Amino acid sequence: MKPLFILKNPFGFLSCHIKCNFPTRMLRILNQYTTNLIYGITRSRWLVAAFLIGFILFLLPSPEGLTVDGYRTIIIIIVALILIITEPIPLPGIALLIIILQVYFGIADANHVAHSFMNDAVFFIMGSLMLAVAIVQQGWDARIALGIIRLTGNSTLKISIGFIVISAVMSSFIGEHTVAAMMLPIGMTLIRYTSDDKTKVKNLAALLLFSIAYGSLIGSIGTPSGGGRNAIMMVYWKEFGLAPISYGKWMLMVYPLVLLQLPLLTWILWKSFVPEYLMLDSGIRKLKVQVARSGMIQPQQYFAVFLFFLVFLGWIFYSETVGLGIIALTGVVMYLVTGLAKWEEMSKHVNWGVVILFGATISLGTMVNETGAAQWIAGQVLNFAGEFVSSIPVFTDLIIVLMTTTLANILSSSATVAVLAPITLNLPGDSIHIGLITAIASAFGYFTAVAAPACTIIYASGMIKAKDFLKAGWKVGATSILMVLIYANIFWKLFG
Amino acid sequence: MKFLIAVGSKKYSEPTLRVGMQVAKAFGASVTILYVGPKVSAFSSSQVRLARESMDRWEIEHPGVEVLEWAFNFLAENNYITPKMIEAGFQKNTLVTTRGDRCELFLQGAVCEDVNLILRNGDIIPELRDEVAKGKYNVTIIGGSKKRRMAHDLVQYINSSIFIVKEFNHEIGYRLLMATDDSTGTKKAVKFGARVSQAFDMPIDILTVSKKSFFGSGYREASKKASTLIRRAGIDGEVQLKVGDPVDVIVESAGQDHIIVMGASTANPVKKFFIGSKPLKVMSDCECPILIVK
Repeated sequence: MKPLFILKNPFGFLSCHIKCNFPTRMLRILNQYTTNLIYGITRSRWLVAAFLIGFILFLLPSPEGLTVDGYRTIIIIIVALILIITEPIPLPGIALLIIILQVYFGIADANHVAHSFMNDAVFFIMGSLMLAVAIVQQGWDARIALGIIRLTGNSTLKISIGFIVISAVMSSFIGEHTVAAMMLPIGMTLIRYTSDDKTKVKNLAALLLFSIAYGSLIGSIGTPSGGGRNAIMMVYWKEFGLAPISYGKWMLMVYPLVLLQLPLLTWILWKSFVPEYLMLDSGIRKLKVQVARSGMIQPQQYFAVFLFFLVFLGWIFYSETVGLGIIALTGVVMYLVTGLAKWEEMSKHVNWGVVILFGATISLGTMVNETGAAQWIAGQVLNFAGEFVSSIPVFTDLIIVLMTTTLANILSSSATVAVLAPITLNLPGDSIHIGLITAIASAFGYFTAVAAPACTIIYASGMIKAKDFLKAGWKVGATSILMVLIYANIFWKLFG
Repeated sequence: MKFLIAVGSKKYSEPTLRVGMQVAKAFGASVTILYVGPKVSAFSSSQVRLARESMDRWEIEHPGVEVLEWAFNFLAENNYITPKMIEAGFQKNTLVTTRGDRCELFLQGAVCEDVNLILRNGDIIPELRDEVAKGKYNVTIIGGSKKRRMAHDLVQYINSSIFIVKEFNHEIGYRLLMATDDSTGTKKAVKFGARVSQAFDMPIDILTVSKKSFFGSGYREASKKASTLIRRAGIDGEVQLKVGDPVDVIVESAGQDHIIVMGASTANPVKKFFIGSKPLKVMSDCECPILIVK
């Protein structure tokens, strides 16, 4: 049957502005506003929950033995943790909230908060983020790729070992995020040119990318410059009047643990993700083409490495005098002065909001210590597990490791150290021992994609699923926890 | 008219893209195919950007680009884009970055207006809501989700009609089930449904369900108007008046071989948030595609 007419524009049929009567129109507008409001509230439900919890706690009296300022600092921590984990507002907003609440709650005056906000650890985080940009843009990734394949050949197992070792060694000095950014294209080239079909290289992708991320995480504990969390610990030791250790001594105490963990990591990853291809011929061929395309090494590339070597020497010999952060910033200045890096590029790639947030969490950590809140929480932990702590000394380490690892996996490793270290440093025991345990455990961000930038970077490649982190992460995590407990209580005791 | 087709992966989104493009073709609409990749933690966003720039230097495309490439191939195979575009192939380097991490690729459509491919990262609902609000889309087409909350959020917060391509099987000869009642949303739904039916030569079943044993004048009027409209448009169909719980009856009548078309609820959004609405409940319970017209 031939249609009598063709309907052309069904959406013009009830064009509200033209044909609806006034009350219907108003009702629709009202409904739209209400919907937007409900959407806003549901998106900000954690913001509402955080404020509500904070308000209720604020109305309650402070617990016995805890000062009012200490209690209010703990309220800010609880509110900040909820907000950082759920992100209902941008991170810089949370940072500013932490700062202003400290003043409004009367915990400290504005100048004191400002003073605690900016210190050498924040300089270090800023400097390392800028150095990462300068280093990554030098194009050394092609040289690293060539170096790895010369050593490993086409064997997947050997390439995985190469990735783990190189990532670990480099991340000890230039930070895990820099290493992950440099190594990711190498890994992705091997994966993509082995097979176009993602489903056929699932395990291979997981093996190579986790080799980069977990290798970087393990390596990052090796030196104070391995990550912002280590720098924060160095600053806390100094600020809290505890005995800090030198760059060299940190390496001496921790690096053997790095070396012990690497073979285990290799074994766990190999068993967890049995690769579909044992030889990566086509991937290696493409990698060689890529390296050849990048041409000869330019003099400025050598010079860039030389400058970083100077920074490294500075960390070893002068970090105790001038601080890790100042040396990192000196490196940044050198790169800018020599024209090896551009400020526009650095500024574009540094998330200043995150820098502000780290500053705010460090400020909060300082207040936790100054107000006595840290001592009070440490006391509660001891009351809870008092007999175990006195009868089994390792138990204190276990508590620290579990607390730090848990928080690092849902928050961020640096923020975890900033908030938790003042508390753990108040637990009984040697402050160096406890500080190192806290810093090391904060790198156990194996379980989620958010814990460490290296994990986020490989997750954002689209080749890894969130569940893959759990599949290999719990094994690497459990092994790391066990190893650090044994290592710290045997090797460090022998070391004295 | 503007259609937004949200795709997830090659594996699950083929029916969504196929049906979405057929409907868009029927309307001669401008189409945007959107892929929303995983959210990147704000803590590491700058480092991820740095890593992606490294990947650019190595000519490795961003994650999600392969989904756009698959969508391009689908469009090319089915001649939805111009021969010139097909010949040129998928040009990764013409992806334009707009508004932060949002990447866009413009294509010339052959059977409908322009076709855009868009890549975004983040949570699906806020990203879709933002895209719909800024692009002023009339219809959003998306695959079914097992998450009940997601279904609610789609219907409640996306400011366009929603076509959920749920349990679609191209081997089934679908009929259209047009659920009518006395609500204002029905009129628009009937008109849209009739247009879809004409485009696909699909018969229509007009279903009116009353909780009580009798049908009020509003219900009878709605059913009559719908049947008149489809008769005048030359569409085959039948009118059904049934008694029972509307949600159960609609779901049961639809089975697996109907595409349900119904108007969005005009009830108070607060009530909808806490108690739900008929379209929402039908959407959750049905085992076939459903179009909710706003």
